[in-house]
Amino acid sequence: MDEFNDNEIARLLRLKRYEQPPPGYFENFLHEFHRRQRDELLRQPLWRICLERAHNFMLQLDMRSLASYPTAVAAVLVCAAIFSLKVYQQPEAARVATQSPLTLSVPVNAEQELNLASPVARQIFRMQPVGSFRQSAQTHRAAPPRYVLDSVPVSYEPTFRF
Amino acid sequence: MSPLSGSRSRALVAFAVVFGLGAGWLFAQEQSAATISQQVRELFERTAKAVVKIHGVDEHSEICGTGFFVDPTGTLYTAYTVGGEAGNFTVEFNGKKYPARQLVADIRSGTAILKVDETTPGLPIGKSEELELATPVISIGYPLDLPKTPNFGMIAGFDRKCLGRYFSTIHLRVNAPTQRGEAGAPLLNMKGEVVGIVVSGLENNSACYAVPIEAAEKIRSDFVRFGEARHGWIGVNNVSPPSQQVEGSRAMVTQVAEDTPAARSGLKEGDVLLQVGKKKITDPEDVFDASFYITAGDTVPITVMRGNQKMTFQVQATMHPASRTGMLLASPGTIPGVIPMSLDEDAPPSP
Repeated sequence: MDEFNDNEIARLLRLKRYEQPPPGYFENFLHEFHRRQRDELLRQPLWRICLERAHNFMLQLDMRSLASYPTAVAAVLVCAAIFSLKVYQQPEAARVATQSPLTLSVPVNAEQELNLASPVARQIFRMQPVGSFRQSAQTHRAAPPRYVLDSVPVSYEPTFRF
Repeated sequence: MSPLSGSRSRALVAFAVVFGLGAGWLFAQEQSAATISQQVRELFERTAKAVVKIHGVDEHSEICGTGFFVDPTGTLYTAYTVGGEAGNFTVEFNGKKYPARQLVADIRSGTAILKVDETTPGLPIGKSEELELATPVISIGYPLDLPKTPNFGMIAGFDRKCLGRYFSTIHLRVNAPTQRGEAGAPLLNMKGEVVGIVVSGLENNSACYAVPIEAAEKIRSDFVRFGEARHGWIGVNNVSPPSQQVEGSRAMVTQVAEDTPAARSGLKEGDVLLQVGKKKITDPEDVFDASFYITAGDTVPITVMRGNQKMTFQVQATMHPASRTGMLLASPGTIPGVIPMSLDEDAPPSP
């Protein structure tokens, strides 16, 4: 404030009192302002413009409402998975059966059939694919328990060799 | 006193003597039956706590059988038909159900060993070799859905074959009624020791077959040593009776497979077998029982008569061919916690 004394300030104010903008200045002011702003914007690289616009767009969005959609979809999927697991879960027998590609089969009326046949031969000839095994397991899921006692021992020796 | 009255008195005395003897005999009979009944009851009460009901699931349905603990760590024996081809085992004892897993199953002996991770009672192991014809025995099993039941009977025979079919080892034929659900039941001598495992019924279930406990112990020993049952094989392919008995034996080697332990150790066709391991051989059928107890990898002394000379060969047994093809044994890969081992010897030729 030292370099400006009161007299100088008063003189400047007198001069500015009579200063007027050119005609049409106020009419074109807004247009001119936008033009200069656009020029300023276009001076930046394109990627920065896109980034800023995306940032502004994200700031305007309501994230909570957007997040609720995938949450709901995930909840529905989890419920469906649990439901299908309970309804279509295979019994333990089927899981045991699928451990090997070929599995042994004993008929339902095993007590009549497990008599004179060699157990080794029984193992060889009574094989069936896993597919039919699963089907069999499904069919007999509700079967009553089988109380085990064969009519002959399973131990078998075909020839006099050792 | 008249002569008639004298004869009458003699008749009365004779009648009294006869009546007394008869009554005494009947009383003795009743006492004997009561003693047996009491013995069986006491035995049942003492041993039944180690007998369990086994539930499993095979490819068709739930199965139920019997088993028994043999040590305090929860190891239990049962029949192969119960614990061999099923899974998802549970064992019922002390009014509770416990999960069990299969350690080893051996179709050749008809036995399986399961394990429960609990502290359990165990039955003492006896010797089936001490059994004789008509030795009294009892079995304890779970018939159908009924509670634990004792069956009293006696040893009716030591069979190597039934209806033309040979067993891998001697089976005990027991005249004791056995019902469905009792496969795997322990066969006990009157001291309460296990001498066998019930593996099958016989003719309307009025009798049963039991595997000698030594067979199950052999499988258990193999499992402890190798993690699997290891039936041995030396490569003698045929044994038949010679024209005459030699040193009390009628088992002559008629075929030795090439490049097998038997051939390499010097056994030849025409040798008459006298002893295989610890088992004396008198008939060709004795070979089954002797060979069953050979373990692959072990050296077996085999004594033969060649001409007039008695010779002993030390033969190192290899794996039984049927074991190698997986026809007789449960695959060790399916047994949890077991690391399969293999012998370094060459595979024997398939029979």
